[in-house]
Amino acid sequence: MNSLMLLNVAWVALRVNLLRSILTMLGIIIGVAAVIIMLALGSGARYEVDQQIKNLGGNVFIVFSRMRFMGGAQQGGTGQSLTEMDALAIENQIPQVTVAAPMVQSSGQVIYGNLNWAPSILGVDNKIYQAQSWSLAEGRTFTETELSSAGRVAVIGQTVKRELFGASDPLGQTVRINKVPVTIIGVLNGKGQNTQGNDQDDIVFMPIDTVRKRISGITLSSPKAVRSIVVQVASDRDMPLVEQELDALLRQRLRTTANDPPFRIRNLSEMVETRAQTMQIFNGLLAAVASVSLLVGGIGIMNIMLVSVTERTREIGLRMAVGARPADILRQFLIEAVLLCALGGALGLTLALGTTWAVEHFLGYTAIIEPQVVLMSIGFSALIGVFFGYYPARKASRLQPIEALRYE
Amino acid sequence: MQNAVMATLKVEKHYRMGEQVLKALKGVSVSIGQGDFVAVMGPSGSGKSTFMNMLGCLDSPSSGQILLKGTDVTRMSAAELATVRNRHIGFVFQQFNLLPRTTALDNVMLPLLYTAMPRAQARERAQHCLELVGLGKRLDHHPSQLSGGQQQRVAIARALVNEPDIILADEPTGALDTETGLEIMALFQQLHQQGKTLVLVTHEPDIAAFASRQLVFRDGLLLTDRQSSPLDAQQALADFRQHRLAEALK
Ligand SMILES: Nc1ncnc2c1ncn2[C@@H]1O[C@H](COP(=O)(O)OP(=O)(O)OP(=O)(O)O)[C@@H](O)[C@H]1O
Ligand SMILES: [Mg+2]
Repeated sequence: MNSLMLLNVAWVALRVNLLRSILTMLGIIIGVAAVIIMLALGSGARYEVDQQIKNLGGNVFIVFSRMRFMGGAQQGGTGQSLTEMDALAIENQIPQVTVAAPMVQSSGQVIYGNLNWAPSILGVDNKIYQAQSWSLAEGRTFTETELSSAGRVAVIGQTVKRELFGASDPLGQTVRINKVPVTIIGVLNGKGQNTQGNDQDDIVFMPIDTVRKRISGITLSSPKAVRSIVVQVASDRDMPLVEQELDALLRQRLRTTANDPPFRIRNLSEMVETRAQTMQIFNGLLAAVASVSLLVGGIGIMNIMLVSVTERTREIGLRMAVGARPADILRQFLIEAVLLCALGGALGLTLALGTTWAVEHFLGYTAIIEPQVVLMSIGFSALIGVFFGYYPARKASRLQPIEALRYE
Repeated sequence: MQNAVMATLKVEKHYRMGEQVLKALKGVSVSIGQGDFVAVMGPSGSGKSTFMNMLGCLDSPSSGQILLKGTDVTRMSAAELATVRNRHIGFVFQQFNLLPRTTALDNVMLPLLYTAMPRAQARERAQHCLELVGLGKRLDHHPSQLSGGQQQRVAIARALVNEPDIILADEPTGALDTETGLEIMALFQQLHQQGKTLVLVTHEPDIAAFASRQLVFRDGLLLTDRQSSPLDAQQALADFRQHRLAEALK
């Protein structure tokens, strides 16, 4: 008997007990669906992380000043805060660094007409565009004069534009930021949400001095103090080296040997990946569900195949009487178990497709089902069929023809 | 003995029932020649079925030999025995033993599916055999859609399909009424006349009379082995119908 005929025999046998077959497949269906969903969410998270690293411009460190330098009274001695000069030194003295952009941070109300909005307000210079991969949708960047004379100008993100200006053109309009009149000179291209769900476009860029002197209104330890420095490295490979050099350089410049220096170096891609790890916990849970379900499903298959062998003992006897060899019977029941599992796998796949679609559309996760995962899951369920179907099939093949024929 | 299709040599079969040993066959030697039509008779429990299972290579003897065209089959593996049954032996059972939810044609094809024969050829042969037993118009019927006699005809077609050397039938008329039983016997006689070798078990002397040789078993032993000129089953069937008609008219 060739395999195609055996497949047909198996198909007929499964159809006769349709409901029973489907119930038997349930474990496999759930198991396979869980595996595929897990892998799809994993790939989706991976993709989002990659996307965000790309958004950040890749290969980026952020050096934070640990001084609460905007909080009025300083802790620690003077000269302990990072400054614009440190940014310049990083850029000039570490050859693998392509750009080091200083940044101060503030918050405040932006008022336009009778609308107001509270985005993050960042004091930057034009290096920020390269360091964080920003680009302009319209308008221009700051001029040298605006940067050196604390010009009352701002570049706004897409969210700010949408909230305050709607469809109208923001360029040349004047808004009030913490009561200071400021002219909009540019609009950034959107980046959307990051993996933590924060809106990256809810920002306003202003010249660094403008924020320091006009917006935050706080006396600083040093007139050139910054909150952080965004450091971009030429190549991924240089990241560990640059991290060491940054540490050494800043310790030297801030004259500190403390274990706990007044700055902190963060690798942005690492930060993003840390977030991605929460995803893995969820994934681990799904993996547990999947393996338990596959195991239970496999045992269910074995159970139903044993029932099937018993029910069809006379049929087995007859087949043996007319010439089926033990190997033929073994193959017949193995194929039946494999078909049962593979169908379960296919149904599980369908369930997974539906679920991932729902997760994408209603929960906003990215889920990516890769083609090899589809093949693998169906192949794997067939393998479960072989594994759990073997014992019942062997039992069938070892029946004595005369006893099988006489079976009541 | 030399041109025997099948022969048994001092075949014994013992069943162990706990402490006791039950001897179902106590040394049976029979030779069945080419073209024989043998009826196996005897009281219930005398070992007829056990003997048939030995001939059919469905069961192995406790001692003695079973020769198929001179070859001893008692030492063969399960797979080899399956091939022997497939090539050389056709079975007809009392309970028909057709596969349910399977068409008559597919039932008849079953033995051929365990050979290398191409499907189209197998189908053609199966159809031919069904026509031979008078069921050419019932190819696509399932067993549940056929009468008992028709089901037994399907089973006979299945026994014929791989042109076996010997056809074994254990009480083939046991589950049928008298008229249908006679029809089946007429069919067997027809096969016999075409040169087939047949062995059938029956309780009824009336049925055994259609065979040309009678074996009588008692207590696991072969009691008598005699030749006789067989009655004509076709004639018996005609007489039976005539008689029934006369009864009905009375
Ligand atoms: N599998 C078995 N285990 C134990 N004893 C058995 C088995 N098969 C048959 N026997 C015994 O062997 C003896 C012969 O049985 P067998 O079936 O050959 O009788 P039979 O002549 O065919 O009877 P019947 O006309 O009732 O069919 C009986 O006593 C029976 O109980
Ligand atoms: Mg019997």
